[in-house]
Amino acid sequence: MRVGIIGVGCSKFGVRDDVTLQELAFEAVKEAIEDAGISKEDIEMSVVGTAGTRSYELMPAVPINEYCGFTGKGPIRVEAACATGSAAVYTAYSTIKSGIADVVIAIGVEKMNEVDTPTSLAVGGRSGSYLWEFHQYGTTFPGYYAMHASAHMARYGTTEKQLAMVAVKNHRNAAKNPKAQFQKEITLEKALSSRYVAYPLRLFDCSAITDGSAAAILASEEKIKELGLKDQAVWIEGIGYSSDTANLSKRIDYVGLKATVEASRMAYKMAKIDDPVKQLDVAALHDCFTIAEIMAYEDLGFCKKGEGGKFIENGDSDFGGKIPVNTFGGLKAKGHPLGATGVGMVYEIVKQLRGEAGELQVDLKNYKGLTHNIGGTGHFGWVFILGV
Amino acid sequence: MESRTFILKHKLPIARVEKYWKGLEEGKVYGTVCKICGAKYYPPQVDCSKCYNSEVEWVEISGEGTIECFTQLHSFPQGFEFVGRPYTIAIAKFGDFKVMGWYEGDIPKVGEKVKIKTGKDETGVWKVYFEPWGELNEHRL
Repeated sequence: MRVGIIGVGCSKFGVRDDVTLQELAFEAVKEAIEDAGISKEDIEMSVVGTAGTRSYELMPAVPINEYCGFTGKGPIRVEAACATGSAAVYTAYSTIKSGIADVVIAIGVEKMNEVDTPTSLAVGGRSGSYLWEFHQYGTTFPGYYAMHASAHMARYGTTEKQLAMVAVKNHRNAAKNPKAQFQKEITLEKALSSRYVAYPLRLFDCSAITDGSAAAILASEEKIKELGLKDQAVWIEGIGYSSDTANLSKRIDYVGLKATVEASRMAYKMAKIDDPVKQLDVAALHDCFTIAEIMAYEDLGFCKKGEGGKFIENGDSDFGGKIPVNTFGGLKAKGHPLGATGVGMVYEIVKQLRGEAGELQVDLKNYKGLTHNIGGTGHFGWVFILGV
Repeated sequence: MESRTFILKHKLPIARVEKYWKGLEEGKVYGTVCKICGAKYYPPQVDCSKCYNSEVEWVEISGEGTIECFTQLHSFPQGFEFVGRPYTIAIAKFGDFKVMGWYEGDIPKVGEKVKIKTGKDETGVWKVYFEPWGELNEHRL
C-alpha cells in the first residue's frame, strides 16, 4: 500500500512576532487542507513537530492541536532537532502504513525569535552533548558546522568563495519565493566580506533565526482513490533515516555526515535510485550552513567525495545544471524554522513535482525529487524520495 | 509584551565520572576503556555501549595530539559572555582518543600538533586546553 501526499501548506517564513506559535501553525494547516480540497474532519490523526525550547510554550503540541481544531485526534509530538519536520512526516507515514489511520497531517512549526540571539545560540550549542561540549567549551551550532568546514577545506581545498557561492545561489532563488525570509539577492563580494560568526563561516554562510510553519497531509492509496485525489497525489517512494553520535569527539571524521550517507542509501534502495543526479529532477538539501550543502552533494552521491566545491562552482546545483538544489531558497535564504524545515522541504518538492513552482519551476523529466533533512550536525539524518 | 522570567539551572550528576572531573583539577585528562571488550571512550563513560558491561579502566590521555578540526567563535552563546573575546574550539586526536578543547592561540591549522593540558575558566569550570607545540609547528601537516 502506497502513501501519498495530498495537500501541503507553508507560512511566510521570517521574524513572525505578529503571531503566536498556534496562529503560525494554523496558517500552514489551513493552506494544506484547502490545497488537499478535503474537509478538516477527514483528518484522523495529527503529528506536531516542534523542537521547542526557544518558545515560551514549553509543551506546545496540545495548544497547537487545539487551535487547529484537532482535539481528540492526536497529537503525537515529535522532536529531532533541525530534522523535526521530517520525523513528523515519517510518523504520519508510519501511522498510515500501520493501518491505524488513513489520513494524517504532519504539522511542523517553530518560533525561534521569542528569545534573543545569545539564548538561541546557547540552545543550539546545548543540543550536542551538553556536559562534554557546551558546558565546558561554549559550542554553538555555527561552530559545529564551522569545525566541519575547517576539516573539509583542509582536506579537499574547498574555498570560502565556493562556500559563498552556495549562499549566492540560494539567495537568488529565495528572491523569487514570496514566502522566503530573505527575498533578496546577494553578491559574492557581500558574502565574502561579511563578518565571521564562527571561523571559517561568515554571516552569509549561516541560515538565520527563523519563525515559520509547514504542513503536509498524507493519506493511504485506497483513501486517495476514494477521495478522488489521485491526480494531485505525490507519492512517498523512498524513506531513509540514520543518526550519529551526540559527541563530535566520537565521529570518524569531519568532512561529511555519515547519517546522510546511510539515510540516502536506504531511501535510494527503497525508491530504486541508482544514479540520483540522472533520476531526480530536483532536491531540497539541508543547507543550514553553506558547508552543509557542499557536504550533502557528496554524501548523497551527487558528486564524488571532495568535489562538492566544484559542484557549486560549475553550476551543477543551479537551474539548468545537473540537479537544481534548494530552488525555493534553502534554509539559508528561505529560512530554517527547525520544526517546519523538513515539512517545508516536502512542500517545495510537492509544488515542483506538481508543476506549481511558478518562476522557480524546474524541468520535469523523471517526476522525482529528494528531500534531505539533518538534525544537529548529522545527529539525525532523513532522506525522502517523492514521485508522481 | 514579555513573559514572566523563568530561570532554568540544572544539577549535573557526575558521581560516576567523578574521576574525570577530579583528574582535570590534577592536570590529567582521563578516558575510559572497557575491561571486557576494549572499547575506548572519550568523553569517559562507565557503561559500555558496545558490550553492556560496566567495568572500565581509567586511562590518562597525554602526549602529542593532532588537530582534526576547529572553529573560532565570534558570536557568543548565553553563558559565555565572560570570555569577552573570540575563543577557539578544536578537536584533536591523541592515539585512539579524540578530545575537544579550547585552543590557546589564534587560528590553528588542521594537522597541527598540540599538547593537552587542563585548566579552569573565570567561571570555575574545568576543561581541556590545547597548547601549540611551538617550534614543532614548523612541521605542520
